[in-house]
Amino acid sequence: MADIAIDVRDVSIHYRILNSISVQKSFFRRKARSEIFEAVKHVTFSVEEGGILGIIGKNGSGKSTLLRSIAGVFSPNTGTIDLKGHSVSLMALGVGFKENLTGRENIVLSGMLLGFSEKEIEERSQEIIDFAEIGDFIDRPVRTYSSGMHSKLAFSITAMLENDIMLVDEVLSVGDEKFRKKSLSKMKELISDDNRTVIIVSHSIETLKELCGSVMWLHDGEMKEIGDTDTVLEHYLKFMGN
Amino acid sequence: MDILMGIAMFCIPPLFALVIHNYLRHGEMTGKRKVIFYAAYFVIINLFSLGISFLRGVRGIHFADMTMTYKIKYISVGAVSGFIFPFPVCLLTEDIITFGGIRRYSVRFINDVRKYFPYAVRSARADLRSEVSNSYLDWLWWLIEPFCMMLIYTMIFGVVFHASEQYFPVFIFIGITMWGFFSRSVSGSVNTVRASKGIITKIYMPKYILLLSKMFVNGFKMMVSFGVVLVMMLFFRVPVTWRILYAVPIIVVLFLFTFGVGTIMMHYGVYVSDLGYITGIVLSMLMYFTGTFYDVAKRVPEPFGDLLAKLNPVAFLISAMREVLLYETTPAAGMLMMWGGLSVILIALGAFTIYSNENAYVKII
Repeated sequence: MADIAIDVRDVSIHYRILNSISVQKSFFRRKARSEIFEAVKHVTFSVEEGGILGIIGKNGSGKSTLLRSIAGVFSPNTGTIDLKGHSVSLMALGVGFKENLTGRENIVLSGMLLGFSEKEIEERSQEIIDFAEIGDFIDRPVRTYSSGMHSKLAFSITAMLENDIMLVDEVLSVGDEKFRKKSLSKMKELISDDNRTVIIVSHSIETLKELCGSVMWLHDGEMKEIGDTDTVLEHYLKFMGN
Repeated sequence: MDILMGIAMFCIPPLFALVIHNYLRHGEMTGKRKVIFYAAYFVIINLFSLGISFLRGVRGIHFADMTMTYKIKYISVGAVSGFIFPFPVCLLTEDIITFGGIRRYSVRFINDVRKYFPYAVRSARADLRSEVSNSYLDWLWWLIEPFCMMLIYTMIFGVVFHASEQYFPVFIFIGITMWGFFSRSVSGSVNTVRASKGIITKIYMPKYILLLSKMFVNGFKMMVSFGVVLVMMLFFRVPVTWRILYAVPIIVVLFLFTFGVGTIMMHYGVYVSDLGYITGIVLSMLMYFTGTFYDVAKRVPEPFGDLLAKLNPVAFLISAMREVLLYETTPAAGMLMMWGGLSVILIALGAFTIYSNENAYVKII
């Protein structure tokens, strides 16, 4: 059995709603109303190196929250998340894009935010530009891009700069029909790489069946079931059907 | 009426402090804590105010012959200190103040700064470029804007108010350049986290890096202005001595101090949605206490002028810069070092507070 790459133990995450206060509120309202919303409750699981775990569940069941806390965007309230020193990235499009700068410069900025050095990005940048297929627009400000071009460039950056652990919130496919196919197959290639540990959040049963080694089912923040893809999905479908 | 006023002057300022404290603690104080903290602030603030009135020559409290002006002054001193004290108190009562914690956070801080420094520089450069990329006069604006400001202030204060400092235009230009850097960075810091929502909801980065990048932008503009200062010094034939080298440590201390204040304001800016307005008001008040247009030590009546010049770090740094560049005097090196040290402490407080809270920021904004 391979080493474990992601180890999540007894993780709970709360949101506090209405916690940002203002002077007027603190003077005129006795108690700052703060409701606590539990997004994830006592979830424990692990993913071995090279494994692909799918997460399924209805809207608002805490899937994205869990994913974001694995990415380190915010910390869980209780429990621990151990990534065993692997680098991690959340598949996010267009992080830190600055509208007034050219595509080329945005590649560097965005890449640096994803944790790569300037040199590594320079090396890959031609690859990214070729993949994005936006032609001369690469040297024009991003604000002049059509929304399709914008997401094509964003996708290429995320797809070309890979980390050990990849967290995918819905398998992305962007752009026109041709690019959609290309991006989908690139995604699949990245996900299927044996050295890469992947967690995919998706609503699409087909995608999960096709890609995942195992599936976890979250329901209202609690882990309902984890295990073999077909069994869990079957139970999930039966549950949702009723 | 008199008795009521007497009670009010002791009791209102700590109440003010309590409101601010509660505010910084996100309105989560329990009733018991409120009583304890009220008592603590009552003692601290009244001791502080009494200390000041002792320095002003009021020995002892006699309710009978206390003038109304004295009471009002007492309350206002209390209110100002009530505004300031809760900040250090809240910072010091965070859970991070243990030796192990400090060591761990310091190592992390140094590593993180090293790791994200290239991004901060790159992002600052990108911001500068995009700021001017569409304007007609391009980067010339960085020269024109402060230069015009200097003309306006020289006219108003030189002609209308008859200010009579030597080399007055240069004098004023140094003031507005350094103050501009400080005030822009601090007022910008309050909204930094909110403004970068797109980045911080998607990936992790130490949040003060965003501030650092913004300060590089402002710092670059300050350097351009200092270029103008050098030209003006040539124009006015200011004698230059080796003391001009002091300018470097002065700017370093200014940068550190601004960063320290900025990190603290940035943290509270996340929780308090309208902190921006308060900072705006406080900053414009401070501008007049900093001697941007005049010499604090000479113009403000004794003993406040001297006190202000020493205890307001920005005022101290500005007048030190003027001494070095214009008046051939050596600044107080000890004071400079002290403010440098205090700035490092401020940075530590701010950065460590950000570390222990930053992962909750995303949930709030």
